[in-house]
Amino acid sequence: MPPADPAPQNSAQLEADDAAGRAEESEQASSATPDENTEAAKSMGGLKLFLTTFVTIFVAEIGDKTQVTTLLMSAESRAPLTVFLGAGSALILTTSLGIGVGRWLSKRVSTRTLETATGALLMIISLLLLWDVVTL
Amino acid sequence: MDWNLLGISFITVFISELGDKSQLAAIALSGSASSLRPVFLGAVSALLLTSLLGVWLGDVSALLLPIRWVKAVAALGFAIIAVQLLWVDGSE
Repeated sequence: MPPADPAPQNSAQLEADDAAGRAEESEQASSATPDENTEAAKSMGGLKLFLTTFVTIFVAEIGDKTQVTTLLMSAESRAPLTVFLGAGSALILTTSLGIGVGRWLSKRVSTRTLETATGALLMIISLLLLWDVVTL
Repeated sequence: MDWNLLGISFITVFISELGDKSQLAAIALSGSASSLRPVFLGAVSALLLTSLLGVWLGDVSALLLPIRWVKAVAALGFAIIAVQLLWVDGSE
């Protein structure tokens, strides 16, 4: 992860975007007032983390086999809601498991090692994505 | 509610997502993150959005195309995904 750069105007900009776009994060964004720098920086960190995760995973999943599977299942069964509920709950569960593993690791491995491993893993993910781009 | 279809879509997606890119990303990002809530919310909203787009596109294409075409394309698509999964597993 690159170090956070808490620029106040960026923070305000992102908070404005966020409030317009995402209800689940607006509570966090509105709790930070411009006067409280630490609060703003903390919210900025959370927001940055949210956006980083969202963009990484959105890009990784667009056109991936899971999305193609749900598309085909929905077309074939004519029951998009049922397929969405099944796929959505499976994705929430795999994400929870992934986050559980990440947290478990972070308690047992030193921060330095973890950052190296994170960098390597994100590099592998980007290579996998590049491979998808090449083979599409 | 078609419980069979719900179960099949849950199991298919669950198995194909275990150890996949997005789960690795969730592991990597949550391991070095100071707080987990933004990672969880970011990952889940991205995944729900992509699967929502998927089921919506599938539904629309089924409305527009004849049912035989949809079934044929679906069969071909599932076969390709299956071959890819088997091929990837066999090569590792």
